[in-house]
Amino acid sequence: MRGQFLRYLLGRAAAAFALVFLVSSGALLLAQLAPGDYASEFGRDPASIAADRHRLGLDRPFAEQYGRWLKRSVTLDLGESFYYRRPVTALVRERAANTALLAVVALLLATALGVPGGILTGSTRGPAVSLVRGTSVALLSVPPLITSLLLLTLAARTGWLPVGGIGNPSPDASWIARLIVSARHLVIPALALALPLAATIERLQSQALREAMNRPSTMAARARGLPRSRIVGRHAWRLSLGPLLAIYGILIGSLFSGSFAVELVTSWPGLGDLMRQALMARDTHLVAGCAAAGALFLAIGVFAADVAHGALDPRVAGSRS
Amino acid sequence: MARAFRRSAFLVAALTILGAIWWFAVHRPRTPGPGQATATAPVSGGTLVVSVRSEPASYNRHVAPSAAVDAMSQLTQGKLVRINRVTGEVEPWLAERWTASPDGRTFTLTLRKGITFSDGAPFTSADVLFSFEALYDPSVDSVIASGVKVQGKPLQVTAPDAGTVVVTLPAPFAPGIQLLDNVWIFPRHQLQAALSAHTFRDAWGLKTPPGSMAGLGPFVISEHVPGQRITLTRNPRYWRRDAAGTQLPYLDRVVFEIVPTQDAEVLRLEAGSIDVMTQADLRAEDYASLKRLRDQGALNLLDVGVGVDPNVLWFNLAPPRAHRVPPYVARAEFRQAISYAVNRDAIVTSVYLGAAVPVFGPITPGNRVWYSNAVPTTPFDPARARTILASIGLTDRTGDGMLDDPNGSPVRFSIITQRGNVRERTATVIQEQLRQVGITVDVASLDPQSIFQRWSAGDYDSIYFGFQASALDPANNLDFWLSSGSTHVWNPNRTQPATPWEKTIDDLMQRQVAAPTLEERQRLFAEVQKVFAQELPAIYFVAPRIAIATSRRVGGVQPALLEPKVLWNADSLYVTSPSR
Repeated sequence: MRGQFLRYLLGRAAAAFALVFLVSSGALLLAQLAPGDYASEFGRDPASIAADRHRLGLDRPFAEQYGRWLKRSVTLDLGESFYYRRPVTALVRERAANTALLAVVALLLATALGVPGGILTGSTRGPAVSLVRGTSVALLSVPPLITSLLLLTLAARTGWLPVGGIGNPSPDASWIARLIVSARHLVIPALALALPLAATIERLQSQALREAMNRPSTMAARARGLPRSRIVGRHAWRLSLGPLLAIYGILIGSLFSGSFAVELVTSWPGLGDLMRQALMARDTHLVAGCAAAGALFLAIGVFAADVAHGALDPRVAGSRS
Repeated sequence: MARAFRRSAFLVAALTILGAIWWFAVHRPRTPGPGQATATAPVSGGTLVVSVRSEPASYNRHVAPSAAVDAMSQLTQGKLVRINRVTGEVEPWLAERWTASPDGRTFTLTLRKGITFSDGAPFTSADVLFSFEALYDPSVDSVIASGVKVQGKPLQVTAPDAGTVVVTLPAPFAPGIQLLDNVWIFPRHQLQAALSAHTFRDAWGLKTPPGSMAGLGPFVISEHVPGQRITLTRNPRYWRRDAAGTQLPYLDRVVFEIVPTQDAEVLRLEAGSIDVMTQADLRAEDYASLKRLRDQGALNLLDVGVGVDPNVLWFNLAPPRAHRVPPYVARAEFRQAISYAVNRDAIVTSVYLGAAVPVFGPITPGNRVWYSNAVPTTPFDPARARTILASIGLTDRTGDGMLDDPNGSPVRFSIITQRGNVRERTATVIQEQLRQVGITVDVASLDPQSIFQRWSAGDYDSIYFGFQASALDPANNLDFWLSSGSTHVWNPNRTQPATPWEKTIDDLMQRQVAAPTLEERQRLFAEVQKVFAQELPAIYFVAPRIAIATSRRVGGVQPALLEPKVLWNADSLYVTSPSR
């Protein structure tokens, strides 16, 4: 059984590695195929443009450029950014930390809102349930981009929260003051990202719980006269976790793709903003690096969800290994 | 029934609460707070918070052309002379005075005594020589070098002693000493080794520790948090004092916050979390909401005047390559007809919401010295446009209301323009207006890099785009006017003028830049504009009225039409209350 689970883990890890490799290579290829290159700019002397192209190796055939990049990337060296003149790995590491912070907080917030909401709507009825369900439907129909714009406008008009950015604490501020500044700046992007996700989780949890409530084991518990809260909390909810966890990996993927748009609107200095700059400047190495980081996040999310699901239900590991 | 009623009541109550929150948010009173009174007398101290849309790629002005790098240079470096962005006058800066030779080609500059770099090293003529050496060194491939050459040749610079510099122009050039406004003085003691080792391009990159880069400007870079902010602090060794003898700069710190989109910048300006935008022009759509805030006393709104760098529609007049341009595009009559067919007032109203003026050439009324009223114009006249088009054989041969060429093919061309920009909306208006006279236009919206690629490959019919003006004097914009120029966009980099009228413009501009008096230069340039207006290789439609917004606590702002519109006099800016 343990060997089966280990094989399952190795299989998922290999899939994650392949995902990162394919996504970064694809991003490099697409960035290369896009018209124009980093040196392209109106008003520049053609000789200067040619010199820049030669210096950056952009005048070489794509196969040669890709081969060089591939050779370096094997050693986790993703090349140097044309624009920043710094190693891509260092740039990505700096921004990935911000994106990860935003994504983790948003995921926790979404889980904290979505799971109880789903339990409520999946196990009871009444006006509160209708309100939660209606809110979920509304949030699902509004993309995070619009949510962040609305929240930003609200913040700008009221002054209740900072309008974007990650905060600019005074150099002599205490660590508590710095923490408060960062937390206040995190509210809008995290909410913008978390609200649609919370709605998805609520809907999934609600559906899974309803199904679990009709499972024979739950009905048997009900027949034994157990209190409803105990039936929901101890029996039905545990049964409903399997389907929910199965979809968590995909939710994490959507979380990172959504964070790119939210970061742009709320000026959160994460990978989304870096990717936008890289794409605009045709900084191909940086585009590939950002794409690799995004794919890595997705792979880790899917991997973690798969492992949790496998641990919760051994049949999953058995069937997939 | 009762359940349905309860549900409805619950929903109504929830919606009412949400509505009340929103109403409160929108109608919150915006009267200035106690610390937000309009700035009056200069005050020393405080922090100015400025937004910038992209992070600088380097602190080395020679290798990175962007608004962010330029802003950093303005605040941390010095130059020998400065062009006052408001008056247009050349002001003594690191050089306290100069004399010119009778032929106007040699300038002897006397450097200020006692000036030191921010690290305490003395500033001497050796630093000036070094800066020119770096500027023209082929291994540096400086992005600003072409702007400090005359007829493609570098200036000759010598230093008879530590306090004197002699600059000689390789040919007569009317702007003369104005050229030195482009030359930043770098510390020889820090960068000589890099230049000698041919690694100057990599010097002062983002890996360089903040605080280690010495400068002659009012501030020094003290912190850089990637993707977030760059903090500049006062240079205690800065050489300038104000008229009252107060040490400049007034500000203790300038914090550049990196805010990637203009929407986010405007929201932050509304919220009071930034004071100024580096790229300060307001879009027409932002003006209305900011005007309301100005009326409520929440911020300052300044009308700077008519912009000097309007967008332009140019046609592909280069020798044919793979892309086949419709032959009538090469006819001046066709281009004139297009200019007559477009209602510029409609663009002003619908795209710029009234905040623009019609223009008929590259020099707008905002450029007071060089604008000429005598230049022919092509006011909106669709009937005349149709007549001109018919005169070159473009008529409706099929009765469908659209024009056809003599071969029976529809008159049709494409406009490439920038996606998600005011240019895209303008191109759409042009498309609709030309449809009214029977011309079909296809608008393709691309990003700047793709537009450049199509342009450099000659793969286009026409392009609607814009270029940022770096100077008001046309002599500093020869790349556009001369047929050999790289921004002679309709047919760039020619070894010989392609047409007689381009030769005429070349000749006139060569005389213009060497003419001894301003009046003579103005007369010759008016001639250039006339030829241009008759041939219309590029058509100008409107120039926006430039407005900028700042928070109420900022003082000392002297807005200019050229970039950086606010930060050009950063040492004289001040704030009257703490930042929010």
